[in-house]
Amino acid sequence: MSTAADGMITAGELAGRGPDPAGARRGRRRGQVNTGLVVGLVMTVTFLAIAALSLVWTPADPNAVAPADRLLPFGSPGHLIGTDALGRDIASALMIGARTSIVVAAGAALLGLVLGTVAGLTAASARPFVDETVMRGADILLSIPGVVFALVLAATVGAGVGSTVFALSVFFTPSFTRVVRAAALRVLGEDYVAAAQLYGRNRLFILARHVLPNIFSVLIVQFTLYFAVGILTEAGLSYLGVGVNRPDISWGMLLKEAQETVGVASPLAIWPGLAIVFAVLGLNLLGDGLRDVLDPRLRKRAS
Amino acid sequence: MTDQPVLDVRGLVVRRDDLVAVRGVDIQVRAGQRVGLVGESGAGKSLTALAVMGLLQLGWTTEGQVLHDGVDLTRISDRAFSSRRGRTLSMIFQDPLSALNPTQRVGAQITGVVRRHTEASRDDARAQALELFTQMHLPRPEQMLRAYPHELSGGQRQRVMIAMAMACYPQLIIADEPTTALDVTVQKQVLRLLDAAVQDRGSALLLITHDLSVIAAMCDHVLVMYGGRVVEEGPVREVLRSPRHPYTKGLLESQPTLDNIELEGTARLPSIRGNVPSLHDMPTGCAFRTRCDRATAQCEVVPVLEGDASRAACWHPEPALSQAGRS
Repeated sequence: MSTAADGMITAGELAGRGPDPAGARRGRRRGQVNTGLVVGLVMTVTFLAIAALSLVWTPADPNAVAPADRLLPFGSPGHLIGTDALGRDIASALMIGARTSIVVAAGAALLGLVLGTVAGLTAASARPFVDETVMRGADILLSIPGVVFALVLAATVGAGVGSTVFALSVFFTPSFTRVVRAAALRVLGEDYVAAAQLYGRNRLFILARHVLPNIFSVLIVQFTLYFAVGILTEAGLSYLGVGVNRPDISWGMLLKEAQETVGVASPLAIWPGLAIVFAVLGLNLLGDGLRDVLDPRLRKRAS
Repeated sequence: MTDQPVLDVRGLVVRRDDLVAVRGVDIQVRAGQRVGLVGESGAGKSLTALAVMGLLQLGWTTEGQVLHDGVDLTRISDRAFSSRRGRTLSMIFQDPLSALNPTQRVGAQITGVVRRHTEASRDDARAQALELFTQMHLPRPEQMLRAYPHELSGGQRQRVMIAMAMACYPQLIIADEPTTALDVTVQKQVLRLLDAAVQDRGSALLLITHDLSVIAAMCDHVLVMYGGRVVEEGPVREVLRSPRHPYTKGLLESQPTLDNIELEGTARLPSIRGNVPSLHDMPTGCAFRTRCDRATAQCEVVPVLEGDASRAACWHPEPALSQAGRS
């Protein structure tokens, strides 16, 4: 009886608070409750947590072959999501795959971010000749298709985590350079930069103390978005067989393996696919949400 | 006062390729003097100030001399210049919103300036900043130091800017429209603080504005700029009481006063006809002749500044006020 009474009270409170649309609207505007951001954050944290967990624990060894247990369905005891054609545990493989995605995609995004920030800040603050050189260099790099570059790299240097990170960062750096340069130019036009010059600050100081903190939000947003692009591209490369290979595991590679059993055990391809969708969607929602919250220009336009 | 001016601008030209925004400006500011530079938007006031401070954007070039302390600022190296800027020369910007870094506490920004130019330790610089904030009548200065710019009002931000400009006891402060972005009620307060700060330090002031009433309240000498040239200059009293250039006269007449609003009821505020010509089609000769009622063929030749008490660059100036009328 007491539980029912509690429920009644809660419902009454809700009803009492309900017909106050003004308050609700005010709250939404002030608190900027951004559903996309919250969902994206939860999804991304889950993704990161699973990857972190795989460092210390996985249900089974994802490379342990057990022909007797092959192609077990979803929900089999001991193998929660089942096993593949060689009896390897899929749940474990997916967990390790999450870790690989982070290492490759976040690593490449971080590398691209650092290189792109250095190049972009240089271009924005240097003489026109240097600016032109850097930006046309970025244009040239952008004109090379990333996947083709990765294929060439895999053929010459060999496939693996290292060369995938390298190929992706070459692909990302020019994009970061453009974004950073544009954002930095906006900040460099502000009076406080003129004031800093006035007070005798050199270029490095101005870039480090004035420009960088003010474009930080742009960097974070770009990083999350390229993290997602990195996951997709890595999956594509591994699917083509020029990315990650056993004993390393990635979602793209799992897709490639699952392809061999399509028709026999079609769900095998669904799990890594779902994992990719989950991670990429989470990061994109997070990136878009962060942009809405952090970018002062968008905020100004909204109000 | 010494004879040598703290700032002596001679024949300053600021151009960007074939766009000439400032066409030969001479400005002298003596120690402790307050000079006003007045004119409409596009007259070249701000570019003149930026050129003096060596802060022009890329692409703009200068000709002429900017003498400060006997050194031509247009010729010395960036390194030599930056040791003077902020210390002996200082500037207050128009928009206090964009003149402070939004990601740094204002205290850190002001102590940074103090420490850049003096040997002050961290604590000394902080004490100085506190002192400056107190002088600027910023409420709860201790807490203010820890505030971010967005937590301050426009007037408070501009006072922080003034405090920063005053930090190193500069010989000359250039204030570029320091009160334009502020509410009228706050304007007066900020001007009074600027006035007191300049007075205390014996600094010279070059005040740039389009508001003649600000000039009247703050300056002893005024230069009126139009189309990149100084068209009239002289002591504030002379120029405002008996303007000789038709442009100055027009500017004064178009100032709203309680008299011409209340007494004449629905009468329209007089204005100068036409617009400021763009840099692309600046008329030859006197730049004002296309808007001037007195323009003649003679005005196609650039007039030079002439006169005794106040000097005007006009072929048909208003007659100077009679000697008896002068104090």
